[in-house]
Amino acid sequence: MRLLQKFKRGYSSDSKGNTNYAYTIPRVRAMKSKLLPKETYPRLMNMSIAEITRFIGESGYKEDVDELALTYDGVDLIEHSLNRNLSVTFRKLLNISEGEVHFLISEYLRQYDIWNIKTILRGKYCGASTKETLEAIVAGGTLTYTFLSGLAAKGSYEEVLSEFEGTEYYPILKDYNGTNLSDIENQLDKLYYAGLFAVAGGSKSKDRKLFAKFIRAGIDIKNLMILFRLKKAGITNPQMSNLMVEGGLEIEPKDIEKLMPLSFEEFIQELDSYSYWKEISDVVNPGMQSLIDVETRLKKYRLKSAASFSHVYPLSIVPIMDYMLTKQNEVNNLRIIVRGKETNLSDEVIREQLVI
Amino acid sequence: MVTETVTMMDPAGLQAIGAALAVGLTGFASAYAEKEIGTAAIGAMAENESLFGKGLILTVIPETIVIFGLVVALLML
Repeated sequence: MRLLQKFKRGYSSDSKGNTNYAYTIPRVRAMKSKLLPKETYPRLMNMSIAEITRFIGESGYKEDVDELALTYDGVDLIEHSLNRNLSVTFRKLLNISEGEVHFLISEYLRQYDIWNIKTILRGKYCGASTKETLEAIVAGGTLTYTFLSGLAAKGSYEEVLSEFEGTEYYPILKDYNGTNLSDIENQLDKLYYAGLFAVAGGSKSKDRKLFAKFIRAGIDIKNLMILFRLKKAGITNPQMSNLMVEGGLEIEPKDIEKLMPLSFEEFIQELDSYSYWKEISDVVNPGMQSLIDVETRLKKYRLKSAASFSHVYPLSIVPIMDYMLTKQNEVNNLRIIVRGKETNLSDEVIREQLVI
Repeated sequence: MVTETVTMMDPAGLQAIGAALAVGLTGFASAYAEKEIGTAAIGAMAENESLFGKGLILTVIPETIVIFGLVVALLML
């Protein structure tokens, strides 16, 4: 059977071959139906950390909690279980898909490679222990957990960088001198998006077009959040536009150029002309203190639009991307609740952060 | 003198060909439909076993196509 699949995929095992949507999509939809429903979060808010661990251990995270319970406990156990589950889920998606969709998912999951490289470099930068660094590792991409834990255990950032010699990340990483971390992180993110666009723009297939549209909608949300933060901090320097990711659906480079020199009040007025405004208009005002509401709204909008997009194109890569986004959000929400409870934040503050 | 030979097809033979086409083509059609639905049912069942009943029923629904074909074939003969 595997041999047959190999023949179907072709030897290059990348973008060749057809995708078996009839199998993959119902399976992914069934996986989505098993995610925690919205009503669970208020219940979790009323539980202690031990109760949450038990609840999670009886839900879809059972295997992960059981496996890691010997090594970790308390919040660490939940954190590690969530990360492990996320990477196992994404690997499963890769295993059940084939052809073009398999290739596109693996490209999308490169974000975890970048995330992990960033985490390890940040860990080295602030002198975190191996254990602390491993807490934030999600081996969902092409780099394996064993390789990443090996990197986390290295003594200095130079040793970490030397491991990447010959990879596509090395030309960027070699410029790291121990101080310019934010610059390197920014370049890595840009490399990721450049890679995605190179993949999505190369062909006229329906999947790649939808994939590109999905990614571009995500870039818009990301750019909006960066703009809000910059404006709130009173930064109007046009030079800062190098923080933005190019390729958004609605917010194009010329829009960024236009928005960059504006003050917070002017920026809000200008946003009126974009479709995102109706989602955030009731929480945005010139005197707002915190951006949490806006960011939560934008994330919610992203999830909502991804879900409706997946209903418009039921037999395409979109339902899979939608599932990945929803799963990431579930894990984030659980992490917010657990970390919030650990640091004794009030329920109100935690609730504000949740994207439900 | 020129003789003309007229070849005639046996009407029973034509009927048989028609009946065979009716069953054969609808057979292919339902097989194709069942293949797609069956794959989807297996995909969903791999995640949630309780969908077995529903999956089974949905998978055999295209069977009606070939049954109609069979009825037409029987009417022809």
